[in-house]
Amino acid sequence: MEFLKKLRDNVFFKKWFKTPYTYVTGAILLSIFQIITFGITGNPWGVSGVLANWGAWLFEAVGGSVDKWYYFSSEGAQRTLEAGFMNHAGTMRNIGIIFGALFASLMASQFKIKKIKSKKQIVAAVLGGLLMGYGARIAGGCNIGALFSGISSLSFSGWVFAFFMFFGAVAGSKLLVKYFM
Amino acid sequence: MAKEVILDCLGEACPVPLVKAENALKEMDIEDVLVVQCDHSCAMKNLPEWARKEGHFVDIEEVDDGEWEIIIEKAK
Repeated sequence: MEFLKKLRDNVFFKKWFKTPYTYVTGAILLSIFQIITFGITGNPWGVSGVLANWGAWLFEAVGGSVDKWYYFSSEGAQRTLEAGFMNHAGTMRNIGIIFGALFASLMASQFKIKKIKSKKQIVAAVLGGLLMGYGARIAGGCNIGALFSGISSLSFSGWVFAFFMFFGAVAGSKLLVKYFM
Repeated sequence: MAKEVILDCLGEACPVPLVKAENALKEMDIEDVLVVQCDHSCAMKNLPEWARKEGHFVDIEEVDDGEWEIIIEKAK
């Protein structure tokens, strides 16, 4: 207990685990890690495309088949699905994000299971999740795969995505304030 | 006398606490104090940043694990 108390008051523990990082620190860390992930896996960083694969594996696990689906029709997509969950770099990374976030909130003593305040919140979360998931797939990526990785690959498409995402965010905020607050 | 307003934002995610605080502060007088209860770590960063930029006095208290009270005294 004495040790834990000392640790909690340690200046580096406070800096690294307790207080939130500045936006600049976050940006630099993200840049370094996206270079590493690109170097190791050969693909730019993406998050939501992995979730589509998880959906496909889940569907196959209960006896479904996505062989004829347009989205999974490319040879690369089929090969990824055949290799399986455990051999997918993006899957490992997404699991790492989930457990990393848990680890960070536990280290900062900020873990909390939050109350659901109203039915409106459930509707907003479900609707928002569906729209974002569907939108990310037809846009060819989310704000990570299409925006962050697009711009960092010096691709023009990333900037187009940013431009339209700005207007989407404006419209979304207006709807949120009007119907869900 | 200055009054104290308590704003319950527990369980609310960005940008809801910020919008609610902005609206509540509009209705208040100078020197009144707004206490925003929240459990969203992003709000704990962007709410004080916004309030300080507006020129108000801000104090943050960690009242429980993952739970904060952001105390804003209206300055103008």
